[in-house]
Amino acid sequence: TVTEQSTSIPLPGVNVVIKSTTTGTSTDFDGNYQIEVNTGDIIVFSYVGYRTQEITYTGQATLNVQLTDDAAQLDEIVVIGYGSTTKKDATGSVEAITSEDFTKGNIVTPENLLNGRVSGVSITTGGAPGAGSQITIRGGSSINASNSPLIIIDGLPISNDGLNGSRGILASINPNDIDSFSVLKDASATAIYGSRASNGVIIIVTKKGKSKLSVTYDAQYTFGEITDRINVFSGDEFRALVASQPINGTTLDESLLGAANTDWQDEIFRNTVSAQHNITMQGLVLKAVPTRFSFGTTNQEGAILTSKFERRSLGLSVNPSLFDDHLKINLNANLAFEDNRFGNTIGQAIRFDPTQPVYDASSPFGGFYQHRNGSVVSNGTTNPVASLLQSNNTGDSNRSYGNLNFEYKFHFLPALKAVLNIGFDETEAKTINITSTQVPTNDPVKGNDSRGFQRRTNKLLDGYLSYNKDFDKISAGFTAGYSYQKFTNNGGNTGNRRDDASFASTFADPDVVLIGFFGRANLSFLDKYLLTLTYRRDGTSRFGEGNKWGDFPAAAIAWNMSDEDFLKNSNTISNLKLRASYGITGQQDLPGQNDIFLNRYRGGDQNSQYQFGNAVIQSLIASEVNPDLKWEETTTIEFGIDYGLFDQRISGSLNLFQKNSTDLLFTAAVADGTNFSNSIIQNIGELQIQGLEFSLNADVIKNENFNVDFNFNATFLDREITELALGQDVRTGGISGGTGNTIQLLRVGEAPNSFHVFKQLYDTSGAPIEGAYVDLNGDNIINDDDRYLKENPGADVILGFQSNINYKKFDLSFNLRANIGNYVYNNANSSRAQYELLQDNAVLGNIPTTVLNTGFQRTSDVIISDAYVEDASFLRMDNITLGYTFNNISKQLKSVRLWGGVQNVFTITNYSGLDPEVFNGIDNLIFPRSRNILAGANFKF
Amino acid sequence: CTSDLDIIPKDDQTTLSEDLFDNDTAYKQVLAGIYANLALTGTDGGGSSNLKNIDAGTSQFGRVLLYTQTLSADQMIWSYENDPGTREIQRNLWTAQNPLLLGMFSRTHLSIALANNFLRETTDDKLDGRNVSSAVRSEIPAYRAEARLLRAMAYYYMMDLFGKANFATEDDPVSSQPIVYDRAQLFDFIETELKEIETDLIAPRQNEYGRADKAVAYMILAKIYLNAEVYIKENKYSDCINYCERIIAGGYNLADNYLHNFMADNNTNSATNEIIFPIISDGVVTQNFGPTTVMINGSVGSIEENGIEVGVGSGGWGGALRVRKQLANLFGPAFANDDRNTIISSGRPIDIVDISDRDTGFILQKYSNATSTGSFGSDQTFVDTDFPLYRLADVYLMYAEAHLRGGGGSLSTAVDYINALRDRANNSNTITSGDLSLDFILDERARELHWEAHRRQDLIRFKRFTGGSYNWVWKGNGSNGISLPAHFDIYPIPQASIAANPNNLTQNPGY
Repeated sequence: TVTEQSTSIPLPGVNVVIKSTTTGTSTDFDGNYQIEVNTGDIIVFSYVGYRTQEITYTGQATLNVQLTDDAAQLDEIVVIGYGSTTKKDATGSVEAITSEDFTKGNIVTPENLLNGRVSGVSITTGGAPGAGSQITIRGGSSINASNSPLIIIDGLPISNDGLNGSRGILASINPNDIDSFSVLKDASATAIYGSRASNGVIIIVTKKGKSKLSVTYDAQYTFGEITDRINVFSGDEFRALVASQPINGTTLDESLLGAANTDWQDEIFRNTVSAQHNITMQGLVLKAVPTRFSFGTTNQEGAILTSKFERRSLGLSVNPSLFDDHLKINLNANLAFEDNRFGNTIGQAIRFDPTQPVYDASSPFGGFYQHRNGSVVSNGTTNPVASLLQSNNTGDSNRSYGNLNFEYKFHFLPALKAVLNIGFDETEAKTINITSTQVPTNDPVKGNDSRGFQRRTNKLLDGYLSYNKDFDKISAGFTAGYSYQKFTNNGGNTGNRRDDASFASTFADPDVVLIGFFGRANLSFLDKYLLTLTYRRDGTSRFGEGNKWGDFPAAAIAWNMSDEDFLKNSNTISNLKLRASYGITGQQDLPGQNDIFLNRYRGGDQNSQYQFGNAVIQSLIASEVNPDLKWEETTTIEFGIDYGLFDQRISGSLNLFQKNSTDLLFTAAVADGTNFSNSIIQNIGELQIQGLEFSLNADVIKNENFNVDFNFNATFLDREITELALGQDVRTGGISGGTGNTIQLLRVGEAPNSFHVFKQLYDTSGAPIEGAYVDLNGDNIINDDDRYLKENPGADVILGFQSNINYKKFDLSFNLRANIGNYVYNNANSSRAQYELLQDNAVLGNIPTTVLNTGFQRTSDVIISDAYVEDASFLRMDNITLGYTFNNISKQLKSVRLWGGVQNVFTITNYSGLDPEVFNGIDNLIFPRSRNILAGANFKF
Repeated sequence: CTSDLDIIPKDDQTTLSEDLFDNDTAYKQVLAGIYANLALTGTDGGGSSNLKNIDAGTSQFGRVLLYTQTLSADQMIWSYENDPGTREIQRNLWTAQNPLLLGMFSRTHLSIALANNFLRETTDDKLDGRNVSSAVRSEIPAYRAEARLLRAMAYYYMMDLFGKANFATEDDPVSSQPIVYDRAQLFDFIETELKEIETDLIAPRQNEYGRADKAVAYMILAKIYLNAEVYIKENKYSDCINYCERIIAGGYNLADNYLHNFMADNNTNSATNEIIFPIISDGVVTQNFGPTTVMINGSVGSIEENGIEVGVGSGGWGGALRVRKQLANLFGPAFANDDRNTIISSGRPIDIVDISDRDTGFILQKYSNATSTGSFGSDQTFVDTDFPLYRLADVYLMYAEAHLRGGGGSLSTAVDYINALRDRANNSNTITSGDLSLDFILDERARELHWEAHRRQDLIRFKRFTGGSYNWVWKGNGSNGISLPAHFDIYPIPQASIAANPNNLTQNPGY
């Protein structure tokens, strides 16, 4: 019998092989095995996540083996594209995070299990309930094309495009169902995914059925509060301010003031209660089929009144093995139901006159105070509480996804394996937007009533053959396969059904079809010298004839130096591996531009017709076209060191890489007058990313009662545009305050999205002088030519730190993240904190109190000032949790773990806005992240 | 199954070019597409755009024409200077980076590309190969002439504003690098082209509303001749008179009421007698953030909140547009009851000391989304009011001016035309031949045609735009106006446009 050392639980499926032969078997569900051996044979027992044991047969009748947890991790299986390898044999930059290492806390969407855990990976999650995240690996290798990594769930690459009614592409996935992540970073690891691999790959493996019967139940409650506010004037302060007029020239009508003291942010924010429940059952069905079933519910209230996220998910994993394990079948089927209600009126809450009350019994607009003259609405901001309560914008999305995977080891040649994978992902979403007929409007059409629907599908068929053979000194592995994937997207909207001028509309994107042929060879000589060659040929429907196919090769070498004689017996160095890799990956993800290579005309929608005589005619306008569009290519070169010290008590890696993206898919000017736009997506431009990643895992204390470990990772990133289309600067980064205003620039030699601003002049007391800027080009005119580049939103250094501490039955874990050198443009201040805005059209409006520091009058004079570009470096503790486990409570109830924690514990920053963590560097009133108190219980039966 | 990589569009608004002309109705629809480029910015609502790197609304043809011709001069102020480019235009600080100039340059060149595309698709060879019905076939010559007219019109505006243009005809393939024509070459092309298509164009006032006829070609010719001294340093005033007369002979009459030209039903009321070419706008079917939508919403006063009167939301856009005092001063006591004087001044100082203070400066109620019969347009933001790009009153004034500049014609006819305008405006202060002078014409043009996208061109013709002979408020960014260097008579070529055609297109001198 083979058992697990610490618990003595039998281990099924352990490989039992006679060394240097192909003779072998595996343990059954009770850990038993039978094998015919001769004296002197070495029997090798190996199992995922456990240290391999070799025992020489000396005639024992039974051989009971205890396998121990593989602390050394070197034999840990790492999932890579179309297969797996061990950490020791991996040649590329691959990091695996398994469920024990996941970030703990109020984790609603799966990507947050990873946050801060992996060097080079940056995850920025919004504050809205169930909000999606912006995930980038190594900063993103594109400019106009997608910068999102390829996400693969159990072999099914999913689309990066969200849909109306859902919070994000991962929002429907229950984090509780996830077993591990593999993050593939360098070209050697990612190139097997060819055309979609330039931004890295995240492979998610869901939990599989196990033969041992177990039931777990998790419950978690979260109590959240928004702790910070954008400081605006209180009612009393506002009255005093308006009474002190003229305020630097602005005259205001004091009669518009009210008598109330309303903190509108208090009115729209609320303390939230959220709950998550998960039940998981696993065991053998029909005494033979390992099966896992999970059910999870999440109800999350948003910090803003009415907003919420609810998810119910069902997961089924059936994992039978047939024909002596020659055929393994994995079926994963998931259903997720996501119900959202959307609402966000922070902008109105900051703006609304604080001297007015929330309610007004005499108001014809549902009893809410509104700026009005009788029943005629005055031009100005709408009551933010009324806006929330008088509208009901919901989105319900139903997602079904999963895959069916067959893995067959040939009877006549067990070293040859065939894998067939069929994947399916379909989301249908319905949105309902209703606003009350009592909303304040002078329009004859009162409010909105529209319904929308959208359906995305994603179908995958792939298959590969792999052959693994150990020869005398060489082990070889070969993989070759084919992949077909097709995405569709369509939908429609009724338009406002109360408005005759509003029409129903539908849309259907052209299909996206991706076809690939791939192959990989792994060669290892004496287990010390490793070579991996990868090649993929990919076709996409996004490009025209002659450009559809691209080739993506990669190669990597590695040297397990610690296996060399001169290090083999070192007491200090337990592992030392040097790696080098080179490869080319591609990018073709152009959201919304699936058929730009075709000559097309587009007819106007119902609001975009023309009129000849008194008749309406649908105009047909030729669409922009680029038949020459092709892949964007990223060449990555990387050197890495994996190290382990003191029997792997300390381990980690150091990677040094450079990525060069060429032929960037970039929207750039075309000569006016011959194409059907002034600017078209083309292959022009180059981007270079250089970086260094460092990680360190340490078991500081490790004994029976007391364990302390920590993980530290650091990423240094430098992104620079090395070539732009036509050498032209490109304006980007739309801001609020002015129609079409931008604050960022793409320029050769600079980081992407650097802030493009005027240099503020200050008086002798250090106060900024309104509208006075440095005449940088010295032409005595301050105009657009005087703008310069100041910093950029990307962090120079990203740090992550987490620690788990176990003392007897207590467990404590926390994590810290820091970004250094990331800058944010404070759009909340730049477009709002000026005295002229005390006049809000026909009424009075509130403004941030930071106006007291600047004394600024006019938005248009100051909005482009560099004073609003702030260093937003931060140190943040995302989570801290403390738990206690009661064991062996009764025969049925094996253990109970009770835990509590705090999420979003503290943030240390000099940034003056609400939150320094802003994905694109433009802080325009993000949905604030609440501080949460967590309590949970985990029952194992 | 790698053939799956060959996809086709699935959306019902999108058609492959190779399939489009299977249907005979497509020809007129593609022609409508060229016209629509003057009104729409994209195919999917007022916020959509087929141009990039610029806000949709601020690349609407009529709007950027208004900005470049009127906002840049002495009649109009835009309050929200954080809208990119507006500050630089109205304070005459523009650079080659100005997004509004990019919008103008690119939008107008798109008309050229669309016209060329239509011409390529309607050659005899192509039509022969498609079995086009004889009914449609008989319409094609007029369609082609209209496409060429719209192309010539585009070149006319480029010649006027930028002094040059990328020059492409139907012989240049899509995505080619076009050569560049300067003013003299453009002048020659426009003149030759408009004369060549004359026979194929439909007679004045005989085409469908919204489509161009011979009179539109005459109008463009009259305008290039009137401004020929600016464009090519030649005197062409007699040609101007000739074409003005041909327009007038086309059967146009002044609208019964001056304001009919600027109302929601100007496509059906008496203005149809006067308007030679409109840019269409409709609150439901042709939504755009074009000049009439902008001016009607924008001219609603911040204090007055008079939006309801003009058929938009009561507050409109909160006082986005006001008038500079030079325009207000043209409406002295003699014009107190002139219909053309729609200035609202009560409770407002005439001076605009601070451009962002929307309570200062007078406002104007010229354009309206109300109809001549007292009802309102179909939407409260997007107006039904068409923009009268060319109308008879302008022709009368051009005739008078060309006469004064030695182009011939009759003085008494010129005086009669001016007085016809005054009569129509219910202004009893008619003039005599002794009153008629060039300075008078310039002022009268402002009184009649203000906010109709003519002013910069007029001031340049009168040599008062650049230099210091006439300084209006905020000219050159001085609150009382300062001199402008001469190179500001032509706008800079947008930087992006130069970059995209680097071998042929060069920057204008001075920029």
